[in-house]
Amino acid sequence: MRFVLYLLMMITVALSVGFGLSYYALTDGRLFGAVQVGPWIAWPDVGAAAPNPYTRSLLSREASLQLGQAEGLRFTASVDADDRPLSRDCSYRIRGKTPLATGWTLVALDADGRNVAAPDAEPAMRSSGLARPNSGAIDIAVGTGLMPGNWLELTGDGPFTLVLSLYDTAVFSGFSSDESMPTISRGNCS
Amino acid sequence: MTRFLLWLIGGVVLGGIIHIMVILTLPLLDDDTVWTRIAALDADNKMVVLPELAPGEPNPLGLDPVLIYGVCRLDLAQGPGYLSGVLPDAPWSVAIFNAAGVIIYSTTNRDGIGQTLDLGIFNAAQTRLLAQQQLDVAEGVLVVESASNQLFTLVRLIPPHQAMRTRFANKLAESRCGNRG
Repeated sequence: MRFVLYLLMMITVALSVGFGLSYYALTDGRLFGAVQVGPWIAWPDVGAAAPNPYTRSLLSREASLQLGQAEGLRFTASVDADDRPLSRDCSYRIRGKTPLATGWTLVALDADGRNVAAPDAEPAMRSSGLARPNSGAIDIAVGTGLMPGNWLELTGDGPFTLVLSLYDTAVFSGFSSDESMPTISRGNCS
Repeated sequence: MTRFLLWLIGGVVLGGIIHIMVILTLPLLDDDTVWTRIAALDADNKMVVLPELAPGEPNPLGLDPVLIYGVCRLDLAQGPGYLSGVLPDAPWSVAIFNAAGVIIYSTTNRDGIGQTLDLGIFNAAQTRLLAQQQLDVAEGVLVVESASNQLFTLVRLIPPHQAMRTRFANKLAESRCGNRG
């Protein structure tokens, strides 16, 4: 009887560790192939000609058109600077500097990858379409409620993810030490 | 207690093996891949500009709504592949994906190409033949060697403004892509 209990325990542990670790590796992935700068996460190897096995599995799981290493790098954030999940019930401000790039875009997506920008608004914020102070820093408001300045207007409710795509950038390529990313701070919530 | 710990360690070790198996076999078992999604676009040997993405629409390919995308699928078994055209004066990039969704080559027009896109794609045998016959490759042609025959090219074009989108998309659609017999 004890043997059967030990065997069941071992199988339970094995399945939990095996599939749990795999799920973690392909979602959060920080210990396996992803890098994190504040709330932003990127997979630098995703555009490589010979990606590591974890990145190769991520490519298969996402089945989307990734950016090549020469083309740029995509960062995603699903939490704010205090590690709270991004929600369309709240307003957010994205402030700071982005790594050097020819251009970038910022979009908000729901859990299914659909763009949650308001239907009659711009679907994305782009680097060339911002009002900036003399320092060149960015200050973008994100949320469903009317906000002054650069505003990425969202619609609906529920969680969302921010995707910052840097085009023609050297970040994490070994040729640039500029890995500064903007912060995401939460404002008012309804 | 010792026996319990041994069984526990056994479970963790077995879990590690399952984890490695999952990571290594996932790309082989997946039947909904970027390759099958591109295959549904009917982009064999021609440049297909992907339709503009509106907010709220499904986005299985993970497209950026600002960019204009042009896709062309090639089979090098039919001959060396080519991709050529003159693109608008704006930032653009080109990437070559194999059937596993891995990007085997990418570059941008900041690498001294300017507006002219001229790409020749060869498999190993064709590259060898190219070297043996000592054929002259025209200046400005980017020569890429691919380990596999099945691949697709993706051109990303960043219009400076939304108003230029249609004109830029039409220009991208004029690019030629296919196999040289």
